[in-house]
Amino acid sequence: MSRLPVPARIAIGAAVAALAGLATAGCAAGQIGADVPQSSGQSFVSHSYESTFYQIGHRSSAPEVSGTTLTGQRLNLDSYRGKTVVLNFWGSWCDPCRSEAPALGALARQLQPDGVRFVGIDIRDEPDAALAFMQNFRVSYPSLNDPNDEIALEFHSTVPPAAIPTTLIIDRSGRIAARIVGASSYDELKDLVAKVAGLKS
Amino acid sequence: MTTAKGDAMTPAPADGEFRAAGPGLAGPASRGAGADPGVAAPNGKPRGSGSGRLRAARLGPAGWLRWFWRQLTSMRTALILLFLLALASVPGSVLPQEGIDPAAVTQYYQQHPSLAPIFNRLSLFNVFSAPWFAAIYLLLFASLAGCVLPRTFRLVGSARQKPPRAPSNLARLPASASYTTDLTPAAALDSAAGLLGGRRFRLHRGDGWVSAEKGYLREVGNLLFHVALLALLFSVGLGGIWGYKANRLLIVGQGFANTPTDLDVFHPGRLVSPTDLQPFSINLKSFRAEYVTSGPQIDQPITYDAALSYRPQIGSPVKHYMLTVNHPLVVDNVSVYLIGHGYAPVFKVTDGTGKVRWDGPVPFIPVQQTTLTSEGVIKVPDAQPYQLGFAGVFLPSAEDVGGQLESAFPAPLNPRVSLVAFKGNLGMNSGQPQSVYSLDTKNLKQLPIAPRPLTAGQSEKLPDGAGTVTYLGYQQWVSLAITYDPGQLPALASGIAALAGLILSFMVRRRRVFVRAVASPDGGTRVSFGGLARSDAAGGFDTEFAELSRLLRAEHDGRSMRARQVGDGTVDGPEDFDYRERPGPAIPAAAQVAAEAGIDDPVVGNPVVGNRAVDDTLSTDAVSTQTATAQAVADEAAVPANSDTLSGREEE
Repeated sequence: MSRLPVPARIAIGAAVAALAGLATAGCAAGQIGADVPQSSGQSFVSHSYESTFYQIGHRSSAPEVSGTTLTGQRLNLDSYRGKTVVLNFWGSWCDPCRSEAPALGALARQLQPDGVRFVGIDIRDEPDAALAFMQNFRVSYPSLNDPNDEIALEFHSTVPPAAIPTTLIIDRSGRIAARIVGASSYDELKDLVAKVAGLKS
Repeated sequence: MTTAKGDAMTPAPADGEFRAAGPGLAGPASRGAGADPGVAAPNGKPRGSGSGRLRAARLGPAGWLRWFWRQLTSMRTALILLFLLALASVPGSVLPQEGIDPAAVTQYYQQHPSLAPIFNRLSLFNVFSAPWFAAIYLLLFASLAGCVLPRTFRLVGSARQKPPRAPSNLARLPASASYTTDLTPAAALDSAAGLLGGRRFRLHRGDGWVSAEKGYLREVGNLLFHVALLALLFSVGLGGIWGYKANRLLIVGQGFANTPTDLDVFHPGRLVSPTDLQPFSINLKSFRAEYVTSGPQIDQPITYDAALSYRPQIGSPVKHYMLTVNHPLVVDNVSVYLIGHGYAPVFKVTDGTGKVRWDGPVPFIPVQQTTLTSEGVIKVPDAQPYQLGFAGVFLPSAEDVGGQLESAFPAPLNPRVSLVAFKGNLGMNSGQPQSVYSLDTKNLKQLPIAPRPLTAGQSEKLPDGAGTVTYLGYQQWVSLAITYDPGQLPALASGIAALAGLILSFMVRRRRVFVRAVASPDGGTRVSFGGLARSDAAGGFDTEFAELSRLLRAEHDGRSMRARQVGDGTVDGPEDFDYRERPGPAIPAAAQVAAEAGIDDPVVGNPVVGNRAVDDTLSTDAVSTQTATAQAVADEAAVPANSDTLSGREEE
């Protein structure tokens, strides 16, 4: 194990080394293919960010997304048709998700009057932990409970989330207009949403 | 392979190459100037120390390209590249790798803030997808391909060659026989050709002789081996480009989808994008492990069964599969293997405000495989007023061994969990990804709780009003390896083909037999029969030759007998001659031999013939390297073939 001995660190690391193949991953599954940069989400935070904007005409339609929210309500993304939707794939266990959560929570409140709606998709999470996360970060928008990643799979042939967190911006016609892989920052997300929604920033 | 490389490596042909290429490359300029292509130095400088530079100057881009290609495809370069490949893999095992342990890379960044960015720029955290690493293996591939392909063409040529003409004195061959028959020379040769042709010898006929060769399958085997070798390399590359490997830990009752967000470890090939992942999803219904309960094999697993339900496609009907070790589930050409298992104790954590902040299983990692003593951590980052963290040990069959609790058996006979509790800052909100299996206790304070092992249903109240933790029981988990390798089947096929080719080329030997028939001065026809085999390690040729010789003699005797009965000395039926007849006038034998000697003589004894043949054990002329006697004979036997081959090789 190349990990240097940090006294304070619980020796669980050794166990992890023994099962190197197993899930050492905190968040974002490693890098992927050509269209995602070398280290998406997972490794160096400075490199972990990538955003893509798709011009009109190069946007694929978002799949039908519906399910039960963490608070037990039914939610269908169709009900947001005509509005710009920010779709955030997250998990309470995911460290970059925790770091981007305050920005997302604030923007959701701020952009509400402009017809922008935020929806979370909570992946591989324990519902109690997820609700605690939402309460802690004052996230007021609903999140679909997706323990088995079925909703992420729906995006398979469009713009699939390449890591956790991934944020998709869906335009008023239901097409995927932008994707952010890695922790979003307040300013960049705001600019991107404004661009998609045609708002003056 | 060695010999082909040797060809490219020997300076002589390369030198000749340059000289030969010179005039052509210099093209109109030198020709227009009326320069003699042989001595193209314009100022009449003799060839010597300066000629190297001169020649280099005249090389031109195409010449350099040829030179570069020759260097690249040489054995030496291939070996250097192979060594470099090994050397280049070293940093991959010395430095933490992003694809394997990203957390360790992050840690390395923190510990070596000045060095890490430089290493990153050199792709040292990502060695196996580094451009310089790719450069090495692509060059190696080119080098091997450049070696194998021309060799393949040469082998095709060799396999299509006609047998050489018969040497004049067959008695000098390693195996020979002679006898007299009543048949005319032409009839004797006709029947010999019929016999040998019937035994699938390839024939070549001339005046007074028949040459026959068998064992071309050896060349086919060789060819198969080389082509398969290339195909194997290509297949492996295919997997590296289009394939991927992933791991996923799955707790009983949970499911996952084959998307990058839902995989724990994911190593995609160079051209794999998330949309390429086969969109199946898998649920783990149950898992059962059985162990040996007594005897020397105690603790050893007997069986693992993981009952899965899965959907091959989004929205397709659910199917079921019983996953066991070495019996992967194959969905959409993706193999899902069962590679490990363990326990996930179930906890319920209530924080200081009385709210449940965690209620579910947490996978623990076995630290001792025989007894499945496992360790893990529980992180509750959203507990109030303090973040909570626990490090725990799970003992499936807890037993008191001298005051210390240990697990005695891997099955959950007496499952217990002991926990160490912490409060404070888990360090999760900074965005730095950390392993879900380790606790960074730097900013945590250990809580003084009794280290008593909990049984299912027992709770531990945390001091300072931090909350309560309850151990509810356990679940089991399996770890799955998901591999997609489009090159796997082609690699297997080409591996088998390469082996088959190799065996074929070892088992089959090429052998030649020659028949000469001359009218004997005292009436009748003198038939001489000779043969030789190449690389006849097993020594089976002598037997074969004896058998052939017996058959030939019997054929001739029987035929002459019948001929005597019928009354003419020639042919008694078309069915006896499945080979073309040569009616032509019988040439006096002596004249014939002399004529042949005349053709053969100038070439016989040319020392180059034997030496060149050594280079290429696979070309037809290699016969000459066998033994001293064989050498002398083969000079003769192989001469016509040699002169062909030689000129052919000079063109390369």
